Amino acid sequence: MLIQLSLGGLSLGAVYALLALGFVVVFRSSGVVNFAHPALLMIGAYVIARVSTGAGRPFALAVLAGVLAATAVALVVQRFLVRPMAGRSLIAISIMTLGVDTIGQTEIIRRIGVDGYLPIADPWGDRVFRAGDLVFPQSRLAALGAAALVIAAFLLWLRYSSWGVAMRAVADDPQTAALMGIRRTTVTALAWILAGMLAAVAGLFLITFPSPGLQPVSAAAALRAFPAAIIGGLDSIGGAIVGGLIVGIAESVAQGYAEDLAFLGHGFHSVIPYLVMLAVLLVRPAGLFGTKELHRV
Amino acid sequence: MSALTVDELTVRFAGVTALDGVSFTVRAGDIHAIIGPNGAGKSTLFNVISGAYRPAAGSVTVHGVRLTGRAPHRIARLGVARTFQNIALLPGETVEENLLLGRHRLIRWWRPESGRHRDRVREIAAFVGLARHLDTPAGILSYGDQKRVELGRALCGEPDLLLLDEPAAGMNANETAAAAGLIRAIRDSLGIAILLVEHDMGLVMGIADRITALDFGVLIADGTPDEVRANHAVQTAYLGLEPSC
Amino acid sequence: MSRRRLVLAAAALVVAAAPFLIDSFWLQQGLFAMAAAVGALGLTLLLGQAGQLSLGHSFFLAIGAYGYTFLAADAGPRAGGLALPPFLAALLAVLLAGLAGLVFSPIAARLRGIYLGIATLGLVFLGQHILANAPRLTGGDNGRSVPPLPGFGADAGSTQYLLNVEWGREQKLWYPLLAGTVLAYLIFRAITRSHLGRALRAVRDRELMAGIVGVPVTRFKAYAFLISSMYAGLGGVLLALVFRRVVPETFGIALSIEYLAMVVIGGLGIAGGAIAGAAFVACLPPVLERYSGLLPGLAAGPGDAGISAPVAGKFIYGAAVIAVLLLEPAGLAGLARRRPRRNAPSATEPIPTGTRK
Repeated sequence: MLIQLSLGGLSLGAVYALLALGFVVVFRSSGVVNFAHPALLMIGAYVIARVSTGAGRPFALAVLAGVLAATAVALVVQRFLVRPMAGRSLIAISIMTLGVDTIGQTEIIRRIGVDGYLPIADPWGDRVFRAGDLVFPQSRLAALGAAALVIAAFLLWLRYSSWGVAMRAVADDPQTAALMGIRRTTVTALAWILAGMLAAVAGLFLITFPSPGLQPVSAAAALRAFPAAIIGGLDSIGGAIVGGLIVGIAESVAQGYAEDLAFLGHGFHSVIPYLVMLAVLLVRPAGLFGTKELHRV
Repeated sequence: MSALTVDELTVRFAGVTALDGVSFTVRAGDIHAIIGPNGAGKSTLFNVISGAYRPAAGSVTVHGVRLTGRAPHRIARLGVARTFQNIALLPGETVEENLLLGRHRLIRWWRPESGRHRDRVREIAAFVGLARHLDTPAGILSYGDQKRVELGRALCGEPDLLLLDEPAAGMNANETAAAAGLIRAIRDSLGIAILLVEHDMGLVMGIADRITALDFGVLIADGTPDEVRANHAVQTAYLGLEPSC
Repeated sequence: MSRRRLVLAAAALVVAAAPFLIDSFWLQQGLFAMAAAVGALGLTLLLGQAGQLSLGHSFFLAIGAYGYTFLAADAGPRAGGLALPPFLAALLAVLLAGLAGLVFSPIAARLRGIYLGIATLGLVFLGQHILANAPRLTGGDNGRSVPPLPGFGADAGSTQYLLNVEWGREQKLWYPLLAGTVLAYLIFRAITRSHLGRALRAVRDRELMAGIVGVPVTRFKAYAFLISSMYAGLGGVLLALVFRRVVPETFGIALSIEYLAMVVIGGLGIAGGAIAGAAFVACLPPVLERYSGLLPGLAAGPGDAGISAPVAGKFIYGAAVIAVLLLEPAGLAGLARRRPRRNAPSATEPIPTGTRK
């Protein structure tokens, strides 16, 4: 039972890690907290679900469409809403993204209906993989595998590609990066593109299990990017991954032992990410791996 | 009793030793200047005294009370006030409001405001030459006037020790002379000790009673202006002379 | 008298005599606006004056609403209650919200800017979890009815009349709500004009300098959080009274975002802005619904083609938040103001300058 739970937790955690990464990448490159991230996820997931259920369309195409949609929206937001606000306070820009999120989520929920449900024709369906006594839903394994691949690819890209290096440079020392000819606006746009891509892929997996399909309540899962990112530290890439895993495992374990934890209330697994976040913040106000601010006058 | 005693102060950041075993004393009623080339550790020293940084070793005491390790607002309560090199005013608020802010440690904010604080603020404003601008938003004043507001705000806290961070930065000769006069007037009429960091040697030599010179975080000279001017290490640091044997 | 003063005086007269002048629908909008305004005042104090972003406002609103309801209601088969005198219950509910704010405030004060915003998100989910698991408190998912204030809403058997005007539910609630709103406004004004307000604005704009002039920054941030939570508590009580029914679903993250929209659209840190923004966001859906026939694309009711009024409302205030931040950061208050007032809270960059990476 525990192994099963752990794997489920890892799988969910990997997806949350993807989500948190997209969020942290934008924060690192521009200091903006992108409250529209859940909307990006919903948009990506919506397009994937819609395209996948159309007749004769390969699933890969649906995924591509979803990724493109989320990325396009992210880019539009960055170019036309965030960039004109350059120089404004970061809280102001972040609140602006809240407005974007409101519009985005309202539209997606309007389309699927308040009590609605949008099916997705994913290739894994209900199929399971058996190893002895253990049963693993294929969708979960696919999620874990895909997320791990994407994260690994991202980390490699960040470390070795020239744009990846540029991104790290801007995050670590914007002034020197600018002096070396790295255009901050380009890197920021890149960060938002990545956010859109990561959100869409995370969205895909969030709507394939536990129950397939896009529902208004999927948005609540999307919000878990925030505690995941905070637990790890908003400006830490590694922290986002760790935070995502922690949230995923905590949620899965809480759900798995729900009966034993019934005294904590029904639905405890949904709130445990936030409790963990509050607990971490008590001890580390900047998250586990976040940088504490140094005061220079 | 000395106004400020710095004792073996050592500050380190991420591998760099910004201050290394610095010790000196500011006497009550003195105008005491800290000089040194860029990177010598002058701002770091000020920031430790204001409570923004914790030292790795050593201490700073004000009138015998230990200051290092205290939060900034507690240091203010000990009677220490400072100005900022990059002016730290509230640009949208009037000069009077900015000055009243400096009076925080004396104002009982949970009680209705008494008029005597505004009266005193008006006096101080007149003293620093801002009487006409009390109702002007601080952000639209000239740079020189903003520096006066900085100074006025520090004075409104009725400090015993005043820290001035590059008071003459960005000023031409006339403005510098006016600043020098004002600093002297503060010392003469209020009797408070003044510690200033300054690059303008003319100003420093003109008004300082004592000078402490730093270079690479180390104290290289400490004494009267004449003594420091003649000090060989100082000359080397500033003028790049070859150290003679 | 200046023109501005005349306009304000006229408006004050209309507001004071509203139950005799305005029909029930618009009175109800006024009630919505006032109930929302009280909560909004608290949030604009916290964000606009003290520079602390909180997404947890709905948590404290819930404490106010459910606190009042539980304390004032009679215990019944579905839900419990302590049957306290309603005015006492209201006061206790506000204090309860304040207590919750007090408990959370040390954490709040230690968190930098945006971390606080996200941490307070956690409060909302915690609150939702508690509400979902306390049926004796909430009466279940379908909610419970709210005990009215005695004399100000208790339905007598017969219709009452005052000065020839039918004195129905909306009329009865008008003066208690007006009293609450005026009180909230006066306290807000007193704070912003006091030294406390000055210190909070310094913490917002120049935190380091504030500490150095002697402001205990962490403690003052905690005060701001505490005051704002009490405002939300009162706002919650008023919401409960106006809607006459409380449902757990109301107090989720969407409500926090609505209040944030109110204070941003209205103009941060400014009382008139909070009130105007509150009126805008709170009254938008009902007004849109009422005039849905006139507006193309709007559905008149469920099942109708077009966008429903609540959804349209969300689109509009979401877009308004973006528009305000991009174009007129001082919001409605900025549009209305013609010359800077002395002693008016600073509004040059109403949202904290903060620290850039």
